[in-house]
Amino acid sequence: MSNWEVLQPQFTKYILAGDEDAAVSMARETLDAGATPVEFFENCIAPSLQHVGSRFETLDIFLPEMVTAADTVDKVNAEVINPAVNEAGGDGDMSLGKVILATVQGDLHDIGKNMVGLMLKVNGFDVVDLGTNVSPSDIIARAEQENVDVIGMSALLTTCLPYMKDVGDMLVGKGIREKYSVIIGGAATTPDITEEMSANVRGDNAADGVAKCKMLLGKL
Amino acid sequence: MNQSQEYTILLNSLDKAEQGPVLNDKDWDLKYISQTVSGLVKKYDISWNQDDPIVPWDDEFADRVFAAGVELALETGVFCLDTKRQMQWSRDELDLILSLTPKQVTTGAGEEAVKVFARRPDDDTRVAIFGGPWGVAVPEELYPSYIESYAREPIFDMVENATLLSTYGRMIRAGSPWEAVAGWQEAQMALEAVRRAGRPDVALGSTEISTTEVGELAATTYGGYRPTDVHHAAFISEQKVSYENLTKAVHIAHTQSLSEVYFNPMYGGYVGAGPGVAIAIVSGMLLVKVCFMGTFCNTGPTHVHLDCSTHPDLVTATSLAFQGLARNTNLLTSPFIRPTTGPGTREIFYESGALTMATVVSGASLIDCVQSATGNKQLHASPLEARFCGELAHAVEGMTRKEADPIVSWLVEKYKHIQGEGLIGQPFTEIYDLETLHPTKEWYREYEIVCKEMETEFGIELT
Repeated sequence: MSNWEVLQPQFTKYILAGDEDAAVSMARETLDAGATPVEFFENCIAPSLQHVGSRFETLDIFLPEMVTAADTVDKVNAEVINPAVNEAGGDGDMSLGKVILATVQGDLHDIGKNMVGLMLKVNGFDVVDLGTNVSPSDIIARAEQENVDVIGMSALLTTCLPYMKDVGDMLVGKGIREKYSVIIGGAATTPDITEEMSANVRGDNAADGVAKCKMLLGKL
Repeated sequence: MNQSQEYTILLNSLDKAEQGPVLNDKDWDLKYISQTVSGLVKKYDISWNQDDPIVPWDDEFADRVFAAGVELALETGVFCLDTKRQMQWSRDELDLILSLTPKQVTTGAGEEAVKVFARRPDDDTRVAIFGGPWGVAVPEELYPSYIESYAREPIFDMVENATLLSTYGRMIRAGSPWEAVAGWQEAQMALEAVRRAGRPDVALGSTEISTTEVGELAATTYGGYRPTDVHHAAFISEQKVSYENLTKAVHIAHTQSLSEVYFNPMYGGYVGAGPGVAIAIVSGMLLVKVCFMGTFCNTGPTHVHLDCSTHPDLVTATSLAFQGLARNTNLLTSPFIRPTTGPGTREIFYESGALTMATVVSGASLIDCVQSATGNKQLHASPLEARFCGELAHAVEGMTRKEADPIVSWLVEKYKHIQGEGLIGQPFTEIYDLETLHPTKEWYREYEIVCKEMETEFGIELT
């Protein structure tokens, strides 16, 4: 039986330091000792990532550390957890849901969107980041292609809101609006435009965005 | 000013965007910016703690921040988002460009001509005031009177514009013909506003509604914004530039217009905490100068969670960076005052005043005030808090950093506990009489209370 109280803090140290070899080794050895991949995810990865997210919220750590932690966990999942789940007959997917993120057309700002993406990752979501200045048609095409649960869009500038509205209009026009939950955020968005954008919710900040995505997918 | 030499330098910037090494975005953020800044913080021993002065007065410390910023600027340069190339400048190129920087520039025209000077820390040279609701969204029907209310404040040497929410009832779409329509409408309404205020020649911030280059190209032309106005181009954090902004810089050069170019590093982002932000401000201010050949260099470092430039750690970081720049260059610098609190609250005077005062005594040339309630709440900015900043700025000209430190600390203590509590105040329409364009009695009373406090506590008379 694994000693999670010892393993989890050590795993947190590894991911914050970006020590991929140590993190992968720990995961592999723990599974070899009899733990299931789901147990490792629930007792080690998830609480470690939540710890990282909490420390970023208080700025005890900064964006680079959060990027490093998320990248290290990606490596552990890719090399150890997902293959083990597949081998056990599962689908290898233990995420809370799949979210596609984009800064909409006309807007090149990415730090806010990146923060949301990282916070979603460290809270157990699978994130597809399309980057900045993404056209409405590209957002929808990738959402369909990736079979996502949530479409997340960001805009810092008010003049980019029409492109955000286009996504909502296109989803409705194509008859696929109900397939997705839609969340919007960024300085240009306000609570009263959520409906105009055909979105379900608006995230006030990165932490709120995570909470809203959980709420949308019934994971709270 | 050697226009042809400056123009050649600008063309060289465009070359760099097409000839530098190709990089990817993630490597830029993590390796080029984050790791370099982290190393420079250690190398130059840039640190402070809560017991240290919030406005440092150690010249050697400021010079170390400057040296670290120069090293960051030269080592990393700028990342062009369109070509994915690194744009770098040599030490000789940087020195040449800084040698071309004038020690004073005149904005506006006629009776509204105002000289803006390069200043040093503890300097009694006059600081210029750029008042306006930069970036604050406003319905178009209120736009002219809103801008007029700022233009009626004689303390503002220049008047900054707000963001139009719509144009002729339509949504403004970035990069589309609607951006051109909105840019032109903004210029017409802003020019009408300053004419109604009796100040037709005062410099205007322009073109505010210019997400891409379209707004600037449309509005800076015959009958629109003028060369004596102050035009904008910007980096995206951290040290990234787009063709859109380089195109604005080219148009600004062709029209021989004044400009305020800016860069807002993120506190808690890839440059880390206060020491990294201080280094990033120096680097970014130098790089916006060399990349755009702008007239004024502005920064409003942004807290990643609070969205403000007034967090206590940012007050120190900005002060130190401005000291380093003022002691070692003739750059005409300006801070962007962006508090968490909004108009109608007493706290906005403390919060805006702290950064204003810290930067004036640190050598800022002009003060950009105020993007109230972090600038993203519709109509949540008013001329009164900007007037307060202007009056405070003039009152502390000639004050030393050491004298200013306890006053800034006092101001910070008044607001630091409420940052993040959503004290956004009230919109302009509730705290100003829309007929007279004067503040309501209640709002004016808050201003008077803080003015009285400044006088009784510190002998600072604000008029």
